[in-house]
Amino acid sequence: MDKLAMIKRAEELVGTIEDLPTIPVVATQVLLLLDKPDVRIEDVADLMLTDQVMTARVMKMVNSPVFKPGHEITSLRRALVYLGLKHIRELALATSLIDAFDSDSGNFEINAFWEHSFGVGMVSKIIAEKIGYADIEKAYIGGIIHDLGVVFLSQYQREEFQAILDSIKDKPIKLVDAEIERLGTTHCEIGLCMARKWNFPEVYCELISYHHTPTEATIDPVLCAIVNLSDLFCSVRELNYGGKEWVSFNLSEEEGWKILRKEAPNLANLDVERFCYELDDAIPDVKELVSSIFNSQEQAGD
Amino acid sequence: MPISDNDFIQLRDFIYSICGMYFHTTKKYFLESRLARRMETTGAKTYPEYYQLLKSPRGAEEMKYLMDEITTNETYFFRNVPQLTALETKLLPEIVETKNKMGFRKLRIWSAGSSSGEEAYTMSMMLLEKRSTLLKDWIIEIVGTDINETVISQAKEGIYNAYSVRNIPDIYKRKYIKEENGKFLLSPEVKKFVTFNKLNLYDDSKMIFMKSFDFIFCANVLIYFDTASKSKVVQHFYNNLQPYGYFFVGQSESLHGVNDKFKTVHFPGGFTYKK
Repeated sequence: MDKLAMIKRAEELVGTIEDLPTIPVVATQVLLLLDKPDVRIEDVADLMLTDQVMTARVMKMVNSPVFKPGHEITSLRRALVYLGLKHIRELALATSLIDAFDSDSGNFEINAFWEHSFGVGMVSKIIAEKIGYADIEKAYIGGIIHDLGVVFLSQYQREEFQAILDSIKDKPIKLVDAEIERLGTTHCEIGLCMARKWNFPEVYCELISYHHTPTEATIDPVLCAIVNLSDLFCSVRELNYGGKEWVSFNLSEEEGWKILRKEAPNLANLDVERFCYELDDAIPDVKELVSSIFNSQEQAGD
Repeated sequence: MPISDNDFIQLRDFIYSICGMYFHTTKKYFLESRLARRMETTGAKTYPEYYQLLKSPRGAEEMKYLMDEITTNETYFFRNVPQLTALETKLLPEIVETKNKMGFRKLRIWSAGSSSGEEAYTMSMMLLEKRSTLLKDWIIEIVGTDINETVISQAKEGIYNAYSVRNIPDIYKRKYIKEENGKFLLSPEVKKFVTFNKLNLYDDSKMIFMKSFDFIFCANVLIYFDTASKSKVVQHFYNNLQPYGYFFVGQSESLHGVNDKFKTVHFPGGFTYKK
């Protein structure tokens, strides 16, 4: 189906929702601050610290074995230094996303959704490292936010989305295909509209829009391919939204795989089988991170 | 003796590199208990000592004993559920469609290293259920082969204990299994699709005649072979498979470094190999 028509349809759907979540005040201020040319990390840290929930989430996301910093990062300022100024924006957006959709009101159990998202973040980071992708943190955050549109559908198109999920249950039908048939658009275009509304950087908008069709990306197809493959791998291991979609794929035929093979020929030697088994082993880490982000109010200071 | 994380990783990586079998972290205690028996027999007092033994010239033989310990009681009906689900959901309908188009309505399945026959009969039950729908008027041939004549006789007999049949879903159990004096007997209709033969997978002269299979299963067999033998045997499987067929190994097994022609096809909870 025509991409522009699908984006238009997504705009209509997103446009009908009046109480679409907004980005928390502090996150908005952080984003504004980051736009200033002479911004200092200290200022950003001071501002973020006024929102202790956000601070705690940033600390957990950075210190989790899923992200694997070389050593424990104990202060927010260090976390920000470690990530670099350019990634604070994404981090603020990712934590805002968690805030905006921190409820069980949709079709998914919220933990299952975030386990998939953080799982894709983790695998994206691993693949990014393997292929020598320049910006590993971007891959991590991109993985976390790729399914933004799914959250919208599960919260604001609840009945329709449930019907879609029921129609594909235990069948080898792709979610995006069922979405096109019933909605005339997919979670990719809906996610794109939301990302634009929230002023996500363009590269993330593209990622959200093309994570199922990486060859169509123009700004950073490699990033789209990384997240595309991570998404596929998580969908066939136990980070699959509790089995809502029955995914199967021939790796050698995947466009994401072809893009990455071209980018990094050494990927041909990847032990794919072991990669899957190791992914299984890392699942408890992902689950623990998600439950620590959502189920505790523990705070972190500077 | 509790195994430390380091010792576990060292042994797991070594076993994987030699046998192609991966021990998930969740299987740590299982591996620990199986190692305990081998360490008692060999007199190795610590895990590093046992690791040294595996790496020594006597290691290849010891590895076979260890694999025996690990695969004991690993043969039962409906063992690999993700694999069976993938077959039912996608792979079988796909092959049926391909062959329907060619007007070639015959399905050939091989259980290589069939042991007492559970895998071959599991397939038979699953396909029987589709006799009135997907596989109406199809010819079904399931071949089980093993090098061991004792297990072949058992397979032909088709009589099982409670452990073997514990995973069979009720719907199949009611139709195809009869209990008599604590033993479980297979119905003749399940048996009629399956034949069992003695076969040595190393025997090239016999292997070349195992032709035109749609699905080949070989679980917990290749783990006993060295890399060169594995490559040779897997190449035979490759040749014996239809162009659209699938080759399955056991849960946690891997063919990485054994054959670079097969492609991995992934599905929830597992993967299979395709030409």
